[in-house]
Amino acid sequence: MGPELHTIHGHRAVETLAAKLRRRQVVGSREAALETVLVLRQVVSKARFSNIQQLIAVIRGVGRRLVEAQPKEHTVGNTVRRILHNIREEASSATKVSAAAPARNVYTISKFVLQGQPRKHNAGVPKSEATATLTEDDPNDPDSFARGLKPVLMEAIQDVLDELETVYDNVSKNAKDHIHSDEIILTIGHSKTVEAFLKSAAHYRNYTVIVAETAPSYSGHDMARSLSSAGISTFLVPDSSIFAIMSRVNKVILGAHAILANGGLVAVAGSLLAATAAQAHSTPVVVCAGQFKLTPLWNLYHDYGALDLGDPSSVLGFEEGKLVERVDVVNPYYDYVSPELVDVFITNDGDHPPSSVYRLIKETYDDDDNEL
Amino acid sequence: MSAVAQSTAFDIYATFQQFLKDDEISPPLAAILSLAEAIVKSNAGTMFELVQALTDGAEELKRRSQNPISLNAGCELFIAFVTLFPHEADNFAELKEELEQQGRKYATEAISFRDKIAELALGFIKDDAVILTHSYSRVVLKALLHAHKTKRISVYVTESRPRGLGLKTHDALTAAGIPCTLVLDSAVAYVMDRVDFVLVGSEAVVESGGLINYVGSNQMAIIAKAANKPFYALAESYKFHRLFPLSQYDLPTHNPNILSFPTPTGRSAGHSDAPSFATLDATTKGPVRSQTSSSSTERAMSQEQIAKNPGVDYTRPDLISLVFSDVGILTPEGVSQYLVGMFAG
Repeated sequence: MGPELHTIHGHRAVETLAAKLRRRQVVGSREAALETVLVLRQVVSKARFSNIQQLIAVIRGVGRRLVEAQPKEHTVGNTVRRILHNIREEASSATKVSAAAPARNVYTISKFVLQGQPRKHNAGVPKSEATATLTEDDPNDPDSFARGLKPVLMEAIQDVLDELETVYDNVSKNAKDHIHSDEIILTIGHSKTVEAFLKSAAHYRNYTVIVAETAPSYSGHDMARSLSSAGISTFLVPDSSIFAIMSRVNKVILGAHAILANGGLVAVAGSLLAATAAQAHSTPVVVCAGQFKLTPLWNLYHDYGALDLGDPSSVLGFEEGKLVERVDVVNPYYDYVSPELVDVFITNDGDHPPSSVYRLIKETYDDDDNEL
Repeated sequence: MSAVAQSTAFDIYATFQQFLKDDEISPPLAAILSLAEAIVKSNAGTMFELVQALTDGAEELKRRSQNPISLNAGCELFIAFVTLFPHEADNFAELKEELEQQGRKYATEAISFRDKIAELALGFIKDDAVILTHSYSRVVLKALLHAHKTKRISVYVTESRPRGLGLKTHDALTAAGIPCTLVLDSAVAYVMDRVDFVLVGSEAVVESGGLINYVGSNQMAIIAKAANKPFYALAESYKFHRLFPLSQYDLPTHNPNILSFPTPTGRSAGHSDAPSFATLDATTKGPVRSQTSSSSTERAMSQEQIAKNPGVDYTRPDLISLVFSDVGILTPEGVSQYLVGMFAG
């Protein structure tokens, strides 16, 4: 009667994604998030449950499986948490009328500390008009709960999916307010979010972008190509000259792989170099990222080289046979950039300073999901 | 007015002291419990009278205690709660009973807050960590002892003059088998390069996200910042205090006597023993070793000299990495969110 029994239905899709994640056939934070939503949608649509706890156990089981397959893709876990949060919300609003009455008069000091002053019954307007109240664990018809709730849940999952699909547009919505005419912007790597952001601003402003080539993946090359084809005046520079050109730069715009609860971020290797150089020149550092990258993790072990490592052959190929034997080649994929180095996060949910990221995380996820 | 008369018969400060005898109860909780007691003892018949009685009680506590900051945090929390409590009770006596129950219930609940914080802090303590702490704090002690169960840690603890409370921490940790060394308050900069992070407790966490704690915390935070070491503060949520100090001298504990200079005309006791210090200085310039052991008593500051020194200091939020509290791990700015939730809006 454990979650295992329930997972069987979504089994194949889950295993396929887990394998893809493990083999790195699905890479990139948005890609991974999208795939996760699609799998979870299948799982929920096929799941059989007669109360919300059973469903949550199923989703958690799937989430755990996927996170274990590729722990470095933080967005997988984030998406699962997000969906769990939405599902709980929908379920509680659907079953509200029966549950609300006894839960009313328990107002304690600890609640006062947590939630602040008592409000006038504004427990959040339910998104859907599920007027029929559903009863959990109906002994006569155990499937009635699932049947009644599923349309609402699918809608909740669709919301997450829609958000992921429109994330670039929403992040770059206000791009023209952040980039001014004749500014010089420095960026590094090939972040799709930053790309969309810069291109969106190019409709309104004339400005210059300097792209660091981001060795050894050289993803900066693609970025530069893409930006210049959109008509933006673009320079490509080697990573080693980032510090030297920083004095001419007005703004550094970075992408992120994950944003951590303390306001720090995990970003493509070289970002730390750019951010530190920017700090030395008091140049503002702006991070563009979707909300799905908010990760309820602290910066604990990121300082200690526990970030992802890439393929070493791009640093030192096997052609150098003799050398390869004698040196250890390390190709770290990500940098951890501490919150002091970042000025603002531009997300699809508004602009935020690093210090309020933890609050966004508290609002987006439920505390008990932090450990899946 | 009868409410006021009643509260004088009932000695709130004595009750407060009585509650404090329990080692688990910290001043803010003792204050909440005393105020809950005051509700029962008061014969207030309306909400206005009741709040008045509570405010009087809080004033009384504040007036008679030397360090009112943390108990004040408890008082404010409880009074705000009483004022905003959505009451459905028909008669007032019932409501009073309900409020008193709430106070007691919270105090029992609050005992477990330290375990919660210890659990949160555990995630930040690596194996083989070297931790620096300041003075004595129940919540820090609990966190360290909790970490000791699963991880190898060693601790430096400051002596914390003039009360020497660091010795208490040292004894407790040593008894638990944690390697622990006492360091001088003046050796914090010396030891900082050896530690992984700093962990301190708190008297109160204020609205700016800053910290009020035993004197010496501020310099510790400044040094930690300079050495790029994380500075973590542990604070139960009942220590969140609605105060916005801009400097050390804005703290309620500051008074004109603190850091005052003796008037040159009035040759008081402080001045008369100054020459003896000078001579002592000249005679013991020689071997440093023997000096520390033999003259430690002779060289101690007098009571009046200590009285001119602050008991607590204020640490700016930009020096604090994170605040661990029972409501979660917060950035210093995050504390104000909770305070605003309770006291504004």
